[in-house]
Amino acid sequence: MRIYLSAMLTVLLLCVGCNSQDCTNATRTTPRNEIIVWHSWGGAQKELLSRVIDEFNRSHPNIHARALFTPIETGSSQKFFTAVAANRPPDVIFTDGMQTIAYAEQGALLPLDKYAGRSGVKPSDYFAPSWNQNYYKGHVWGLTYCADPNFALAWNKKVFREAGLDPNKPPRTIEELDKYNDKLTVKKDGRIVRMGIVPWGQYGTANSLFTWGWAFKGRFYNDKTHKVTLNDPGVFRAFAWMVNYAKKFDVTKINAFSSGFGSRDQDPFYTGQIAMKCMHISCIEDIKQYAPNLDYGVAGMPAPKGGELNSSWIGGWCLAIPKGSKKADAAWEFIRWCCHDPKGTSIVGRTQGMLPGYRKSPYFKEVENKPIYCEFVKILKQCRHQRPVMPAMSFYSGAIEKATDYALYGRKTPKQALDDATRDTQIELDVRLAGK
Amino acid sequence: MKTTKSTTDRQNLRNGLLFCSPIIMGLSVFTLYPVLASLYYSFCNYPMLKPPVWVGISNYRTLFHDPVFYTSLYNTAYYAIFATPIGLGVAFLLALLLNQKVKGMALFRTMFFVPSIVPMVAGSVLWLWLLNPQYGLINSLLISMHVPANLIPGWMADPLWSKPALILMSTWGVGGTMLIYLAGLQDVPVDLYEAADIDGATSLQKMWNITIPFMSPHIFFTLVMGFIGAAQYFTQAFVMTGGTGGPVDSTRFFSLYLFQNAFQYWKMGYACSMAWILFIVILLFTLLLFKTSARYIYYGGEK
Repeated sequence: MRIYLSAMLTVLLLCVGCNSQDCTNATRTTPRNEIIVWHSWGGAQKELLSRVIDEFNRSHPNIHARALFTPIETGSSQKFFTAVAANRPPDVIFTDGMQTIAYAEQGALLPLDKYAGRSGVKPSDYFAPSWNQNYYKGHVWGLTYCADPNFALAWNKKVFREAGLDPNKPPRTIEELDKYNDKLTVKKDGRIVRMGIVPWGQYGTANSLFTWGWAFKGRFYNDKTHKVTLNDPGVFRAFAWMVNYAKKFDVTKINAFSSGFGSRDQDPFYTGQIAMKCMHISCIEDIKQYAPNLDYGVAGMPAPKGGELNSSWIGGWCLAIPKGSKKADAAWEFIRWCCHDPKGTSIVGRTQGMLPGYRKSPYFKEVENKPIYCEFVKILKQCRHQRPVMPAMSFYSGAIEKATDYALYGRKTPKQALDDATRDTQIELDVRLAGK
Repeated sequence: MKTTKSTTDRQNLRNGLLFCSPIIMGLSVFTLYPVLASLYYSFCNYPMLKPPVWVGISNYRTLFHDPVFYTSLYNTAYYAIFATPIGLGVAFLLALLLNQKVKGMALFRTMFFVPSIVPMVAGSVLWLWLLNPQYGLINSLLISMHVPANLIPGWMADPLWSKPALILMSTWGVGGTMLIYLAGLQDVPVDLYEAADIDGATSLQKMWNITIPFMSPHIFFTLVMGFIGAAQYFTQAFVMTGGTGGPVDSTRFFSLYLFQNAFQYWKMGYACSMAWILFIVILLFTLLLFKTSARYIYYGGEK
């Protein structure tokens, strides 16, 4: 009797397990051709993205796209990897620029050459850097959903007036930037209460170094020889310039100051705690929402003498198809519509306030003369850089962050920090390139 | 006679195993298999989406030449050495105070226990603001006590103060340990205290000769658990530094570095070898604690 009871219990447990499995299957496979799209957009953008997806579904009666908020931070991708490893991936994934080829190298993505050829997608349809960052080992791995020209220099005109600076004259050289910063920075009781700019506080230290590094005519990677060139003279000058701020204003004080920054309507740029910052295009909509009365201007990035004025690099989200997707055709149609369709790219641009990577998109006509946006269009059109396209990029970013940390706190000289990071990343890259 | 007994025995064994089968299955699938798999992967180059490739002891060799590995070991040892005894001490003191017969005792006990049911992530975010160098309550308090400006700690912004900040924060969550001590204190025989009172013992003597010996099994248990917890310290450091372990690697603890290797750099094999090193270190220390325990633990007169 007891045996039967235990056996029954076991069977019962197994049944419950099976049932819940069936349940998830049932909700997943609707009669229509449903594709699952994983994205990382929270807040206001999540709502805007769902509007884009509604538009797609309206114009595609045979396909139903469903967005799932599944944040993949640049640093870690465990959810995505687990899904791919378990052979239950989404059908479309939003990747942050440099992730595309890192995923491709890991074997997590489907090459898109076949589809791209069929739809007549040509490299020249895209801004060169945004094509380059999705092209690796002779294959296309993704298309650019939004090409973010990083960055424009934004300045708070009200704070400029308070500090006795001309509110209509942004700094154009690094020397001017330093001078402005000295005037804008305010200390009280030994604490910093306002700062002109925090050089390494531009969307993480790695992105900051890329931004300034190119302005100083640095090079981060040689893709012919597969050599990491973080200790290149241009990058070194940019790095040393950043470290100099840490010495001059005391890094602990600056970090104590920045650890008190708020978000949304308490963003330090809106409150005037920070007078200048590198501005991302999505900030335009944020400012409309959280600080509609902010008096600010945007211009191209400054550069040192002999550097690259108005330099920028392309970031932005790309769309790719994970390996193991069972609806790759429908997934491709979604990608094509969002990234390569005159109507689709216009809807994406208009709805989310971003610029397409598809350079022939009619949307550019709409924003060419729109204030603030036009500055970003200008920057995008002359953009020349993308972050290194190589498989150890996540490690590389980590190494840059670490090098910056050590140099800012004076634990290593700038040269030593860059040399170490170069060496470590090269070792890591060589292992990955060896294909093990 | 003999055979019938063994038949019953066998039947019992079979029934018992059948009843246990769900948990046996669960343990082998969800515990035993991952443990053994991680041992195998620690000898492999395993980027997760590609099949693991056997590389022998190469991961372990790289590990012993990795300076960050030593930094993370140092950070973890630092934390364990300071946080564990401080935590036990604070918990013990609280338990002694809360064992007094005062009005509203239930309220006090609840107050001190509440932090340990706050989720770790929520607690970390809360402390991030308490410890904020410019706007935090702790530094405001120090300023109001007229501590000179150059002695005010930068907490998580300063590599010298980041670990002390985490240790300070850990004393906030001693509620669980405190509860164990409180239960232990109520088991100490009252007649021993009465006898000591008659003999004219001071409270310090009573504490040293009665309370502590009777509490030693509890202290030992919490010491072992506290040490294991400290060796695996992860969540707070991850949340409070945004996963970086900064500033200057000062809060890159062993488990954090392990996580970074596994899920940021996709070096699962390397991460597995780190996990095994951690396992061996914890095992050795726990064995050491157990071996020496006979000398200072009193189990009510039993050996």
